[in-house]
Amino acid sequence: MSEVLTTAKTPALRTEASRLVQRGRLAKLIRSPEMGAFVVMMVVIIAIAIASKGNAFNPLGLKNNLSIIAQFGIIATGACLLMIAGEFDLSIGSMIGFAGMSMTLMLKWGLPFGLGPATPMSAFFITLIFTLAWGWLIGFIVVRSKLSSFIVTLSFLFFLRGLTEVCFRFINQSTQVSGLPNYKESDWFASMFGGESFHWFYNLWYTLGGNVNQLGNQWVTGFDARVVWWLVLSGIAYFVLMKTQVGSWIFATGDNRESARANGVPVDKVRISLFMLTAFCATIFAACQVFDTNTADAAKGNLKELEAIAIAVVGGTLMTGGFGSILGVMFGAITFGLVANAVFFIPAIDGSYYRVFVGVVLLVAVFLNESVRKRITGGI
Amino acid sequence: MSEPVISAKSLTKRFGAFTALNGIDLEVYKGEIHALLGDNGAGKSTLIKILSGVHQPTSGGLFVDGKPVLFQSPRDATNAGIGTVYQDLALNPLMSVTRNFFMGRELYTGVRPFGVLRMKEMDEITHAEMTKIGINVSDPAQAVGTMSGGQRQTLAIARAIYFGAKVLILDEPTSALGQKQQMEVLKTMMRVRAYGNIAIIFITHNEVHSKLVADRFTFLALGEVIGKGTKASLASEDIRHLMAGGVAMADLEHELAAI
Ligand SMILES: Nc1ncnc2c1ncn2[C@@H]1O[C@H](COP(=O)(O)OP(=O)(O)OP(=O)(O)O)[C@@H](O)[C@H]1O
Ligand SMILES: [Mg+2]
Repeated sequence: MSEVLTTAKTPALRTEASRLVQRGRLAKLIRSPEMGAFVVMMVVIIAIAIASKGNAFNPLGLKNNLSIIAQFGIIATGACLLMIAGEFDLSIGSMIGFAGMSMTLMLKWGLPFGLGPATPMSAFFITLIFTLAWGWLIGFIVVRSKLSSFIVTLSFLFFLRGLTEVCFRFINQSTQVSGLPNYKESDWFASMFGGESFHWFYNLWYTLGGNVNQLGNQWVTGFDARVVWWLVLSGIAYFVLMKTQVGSWIFATGDNRESARANGVPVDKVRISLFMLTAFCATIFAACQVFDTNTADAAKGNLKELEAIAIAVVGGTLMTGGFGSILGVMFGAITFGLVANAVFFIPAIDGSYYRVFVGVVLLVAVFLNESVRKRITGGI
Repeated sequence: MSEPVISAKSLTKRFGAFTALNGIDLEVYKGEIHALLGDNGAGKSTLIKILSGVHQPTSGGLFVDGKPVLFQSPRDATNAGIGTVYQDLALNPLMSVTRNFFMGRELYTGVRPFGVLRMKEMDEITHAEMTKIGINVSDPAQAVGTMSGGQRQTLAIARAIYFGAKVLILDEPTSALGQKQQMEVLKTMMRVRAYGNIAIIFITHNEVHSKLVADRFTFLALGEVIGKGTKASLASEDIRHLMAGGVAMADLEHELAAI
């Protein structure tokens, strides 16, 4: 009897609060959502550095790698925020194709309605109006119809790709545009997308004795401009998501939409805005491509929507919404960019290896994320 | 006797040909817990959905502080000080206690909606409000999904009160909980009652719970009020009798014995 009494006494001394063990900083870091993505990234960096005998990270290798990393990062940032809000966008790739078509056709054939020749700036902003309008329409349909965004954006994947081809044929007679003037040399606006950045970095490298070509001169002069776009977009996305009111709304919308709505979160506006954001990211992606290469064709951006989603997931974003990390997406973009580019540095492999890798990493990431979610929600 | 905070007069609600509520009168006073009792399908949820602006009445009137009101949406009801706490609705499990507490009403500096969150201040308020109502959250950054059902219910109640609810509607707040957590919610209700300026409408199927905390009772059956009164005026037998929809316990016992 007395034994029963003592065991019955213990619970009274313990409170609910004392059941939550305070964790140290290191333990918190290890449990953070981007940890998995960070580990995968480090493994890939080391493996590629060894397999390419360091060539992947020589001055030119670094420039080329960061170029594709930034491309991935730009669209994955938009995809990540949208996924946190609980929606998908499968139209990103087709939106890239559409934006590239729109800009190059204007640059080649002039502005619509006979408004005269286009400049890079006018071509970009008119295209941006189109793509934001598409993004708004997609969001509006999703919000109003209550259909899954998967289906709605899948239909826009086909629609926008087809529309791009039709416009090319109708206006240009061919599904590609090439031989545009090299705008980035003469036009500051075009060089913001197609030019170079971080000259100081490569200058410093040269001054320190590296970055020298076979003639003994400075080898590489700077990163592609899109690296700046990637860093700026990621920085803003991180700040907005973690520190501002609308960031809280994005999480709330994806976590439990009805509860967010009941508490006065404008969930429809949040979702429509984020569909416009993915369209914006696709347009930036296309502008960087167009003003870098001075070309466009109807197949540009193909499959990019799936890569963007894959990167977001590998970065720790939950498929079901309500949870994700911009830092993780940056790690994911670095991982994917390095592996996609590895064919240029490691002679023994080709593009097939990239797809094998993506398949494996994606599956592993989904398992990891599921365990993260269980840990955070206590298994609900 | 002072004026009721919220009252309904001859409230009727029809869903097509079906009459869910037929001439309901209800008076709820501040500082009291008002138990709304009745069998499944009696119309309790329909009644509180009208009080919280989800449904509009077919006829009859609603009065807040004696003045007639017309709630077109839950927002209208919230603005009039009617806070409804549903069991499942209105919490986001992956988000922190603080972010849940201030969801949709965040404190920020700057321009809406890009204002910077005053996270520290919100953490402090959340912690203080939760402590006041009887739960010591050690870490306001803890995800709500890791809290117990009773704690979540309490969080939702604390939130409704902090944002100015003078009438708190709880639809079966204890139904999905274990014994200990049911008591936790009842304790929370008694603490809120002790504030003195808040009325609580409490829907439950649990006779013991209603007798433990309620000051006043209203019984519904088949969409009509079949009895009402204060705790003092109702005998224990009456309560049981009315909860079962007016069927005498003795009759039920006969029926059971006959099987
Ligand atoms: N939207 C609706 N359309 C049609 N009938 C409805 C609707 N909502 C409720 N009813 C009907 O009204 C009646 C009362 O339902 P209500 O949910 O108010 O009962 P309740 O007293 O809350 O029951 P319980 O104790 O089971 O929760 C039921 O017969 C129900 O089928
Ligand atoms: Mg009910």
